Amino acid sequence: MKDIFTIIFRLTLSCVLAGTVMGTTFVLTNKAKKHNEHVKEERVAFSLLGFKGEVPESVTMETAYRYVLSRGGDQFIGYLMPRQESKEGGYRFLQLDLDGNLAEKYRVDITAEQAAGAKERDQSISAVLPQGVEMRFAEQFKIVFRDGVRSAYLISGKFPGFKTHIAVMMALDSDFSIIGFEVLEHEEDPGLGGEIEKPYFKNQFKGKSFEVVQDLEVVKSPIPEDYLKALEVDIPPEAVKKVMQQHRGDDIYALTGATISTVAVTEGLKGMIKKFAYRVNVLDSVIDNQQIAVSF
Amino acid sequence: MMNGKALSRILGAALALLFLPAVLQAAGIISDNSFGDDNEIMVEFSTPVDGEAVQNTDNYTVFEENDPDIRLKLEEVVLAPDNMSASLRFAAPLNTTQTHVVKIEGISGKAEEIFRVSKSYLGYLFSVLIGSLLIKNFVFTKYLGLCVFFGTSKKKTTAKGMGVVFTLVMVATGIMSWFFYQYVLKPYNLTFLQIVVFIGLTSLTVQAIDTILRKVNPVLFNSFGVFLVLVIANCVVIAVPLIMASNEYNFFETFMLSLGAGGGFLLALYLMSSVSERMRLAKIPPTFQGLPIAFIVAGQFAMAFLGFSGLKLF
Amino acid sequence: MANDKTNFQLVANGILAENPIFKLALSMCPAVGISTTVMNGVMLGIAVLFVQVFSSVTISLFKNVIHPRIRIPTYTLTIATWVTVIDLTLAAALPEAYAKMGIFVKIIVAFAIITMRLEMFACKEPVQASFWDGLGMGLGFLVGMVVIGFVRELLGSGAILGYDVLGFKPLLFFILPSAGFFVVGLMMAFFNYIEIAYKRSKGQK
Repeated sequence: MKDIFTIIFRLTLSCVLAGTVMGTTFVLTNKAKKHNEHVKEERVAFSLLGFKGEVPESVTMETAYRYVLSRGGDQFIGYLMPRQESKEGGYRFLQLDLDGNLAEKYRVDITAEQAAGAKERDQSISAVLPQGVEMRFAEQFKIVFRDGVRSAYLISGKFPGFKTHIAVMMALDSDFSIIGFEVLEHEEDPGLGGEIEKPYFKNQFKGKSFEVVQDLEVVKSPIPEDYLKALEVDIPPEAVKKVMQQHRGDDIYALTGATISTVAVTEGLKGMIKKFAYRVNVLDSVIDNQQIAVSF
Repeated sequence: MMNGKALSRILGAALALLFLPAVLQAAGIISDNSFGDDNEIMVEFSTPVDGEAVQNTDNYTVFEENDPDIRLKLEEVVLAPDNMSASLRFAAPLNTTQTHVVKIEGISGKAEEIFRVSKSYLGYLFSVLIGSLLIKNFVFTKYLGLCVFFGTSKKKTTAKGMGVVFTLVMVATGIMSWFFYQYVLKPYNLTFLQIVVFIGLTSLTVQAIDTILRKVNPVLFNSFGVFLVLVIANCVVIAVPLIMASNEYNFFETFMLSLGAGGGFLLALYLMSSVSERMRLAKIPPTFQGLPIAFIVAGQFAMAFLGFSGLKLF
Repeated sequence: MANDKTNFQLVANGILAENPIFKLALSMCPAVGISTTVMNGVMLGIAVLFVQVFSSVTISLFKNVIHPRIRIPTYTLTIATWVTVIDLTLAAALPEAYAKMGIFVKIIVAFAIITMRLEMFACKEPVQASFWDGLGMGLGFLVGMVVIGFVRELLGSGAILGYDVLGFKPLLFFILPSAGFFVVGLMMAFFNYIEIAYKRSKGQK
């Protein structure tokens, strides 16, 4: 009898001890993990935009968030945009109907830090919305300003690849031409589909204008020698520029043994850009028409 | 066997539940819908419809469920001669991984007919099963469970026994872990305890199956029971709940995952043991005898299974 | 059973005579699965070393308090705790390298080698000896992983630790996971060969 009690007692004690050790580690490492994620995201974002090392003072970045709202049978798109008087912070929540007209606008007084946290952000928005409106977070995107003028966008997206999915972050110019993109997650085969991470593939998309991207296809032919050298930056910068200019209108050359992955990335990026461009234009006309004071 | 009947009844009820939405949908004018070619949605009607209204692309609003503000461009609607089905052709290929919402005006008494098109969920579940069975075979593609694998793949009978026991434990552990994860770990923010909890559940399951098998079917126990001990410290069994947690699978997906994992393990063991039995008659150099040659054979199997990569059934 | 081996002999034992991967043939899953680069091997090796050493020391410290009937659950609990600790730490400190290893860090909890070592050594031996033994076993694993990783990375992508050494890719095959089986199998054969040759030379004397 006494045996069983000692067993149970000691077992419980060890469980508690183990739990404390794990719990402490969790608390300590969680903060570090979140911080690292944030730093990594920023690093990827800035390197995509072409800043190596120090970021100039004139360049600032704001984050905007998009939601899908539903009230009864109707649906709306909501944008949480930073207010123009960005020194004090604060956001405006714009509710647009599906045809791109402004339905409502609200003030949401939270700081950028608070907006970065999903739960806090959701709660603050729910607080200003009327009863009976359901909201679902859709995506977030970053707007890059240079001397206060909109100069670039950073969008992320996820689309199906050959294996499971591919997650990317893309930098777009103010006219929606591609500045570059980074593959964040993928499960493609190393050496085959995994080559989508290599510069000679990613750089093919660099600088392609919005019109070119609209009809972008994948061709199953090898990359021309001069183009390959430029893509891998094996030649001096002026030569790279010239060659890239020449091939700007080219379709994407498929990766050897990974045509499906190539097509997946091309179609995925195309879709992302088309949707984003459409939405930005809608937002722009709403903000212009209604003279809303947001940083955009 | 009692357990078998009850199990199949539960499975039948679960499947019926999955089909229910399709049955309910048949009540309206739209009797069926699915994705056709790359840029096509097929619709079937329960009664012949007004040709003009159906073929007028202006009556349609189509968008992906998550992007209601992006309207997809419908190029033409091709109606079948009997006016009972139609094919919606779009300008650009559709992203079939997303659920699409289609609204049609003016083809029935109601102002608008709305229906959703998505890939069959049952198909998706089945693809999870095939995925963990072949494409991501736990032994040959994920390289788990190797210790036990090499130890018990010498004879076909041991292989079969081991495989069956594993599948049983994996399914039981998978389901229990799912409950624990969804209702205890996640709500209380204790996900970091998942390793301890999962291995605890594994040991418990093995103990439980051991005891139950001893009492219910001693004959079965005598043939398979000895393998149970080996199961506890094994990568494969703990891998199932870990994958479930990192992919956030729901109940049915977890069930399919564990079934496929166990089945894949059984398949791998069976294949390996068949080759093992033949190798015993071959002349193997002394340095290669035992584990080295087993590894090389396993490597060849792994190469063969690489062929399943990218298989898409649904 | 008092152990007369010196600390150095304990460590050497773990690396050579009772090397977990090549001699004891335990915990082979990661050896095959993620030894595609030396870095992966190093990281997982360090993780296993950490878990092995800490678990051995913990069990050795508490060996008089652990009730014999619940010793297996206690071992499991200890190992699981330390695995969780190293898992959380790696995820926070080295997120990119951690992501490449997938669930293999978490799977350390199921490694037979660690439980076996606790059962055979740590629960009987004093703390200091357990520490060195754990260190030896962990190092043996680390060495094994690094060697396999070295071969596969060099022959597969022509690089070591990410630095391009050969300038070309000899055989893509080696990075593909199935090559892990081949490389480990061949290395085991090699170890066997050395052992047989050694025994033969001794026998002849």
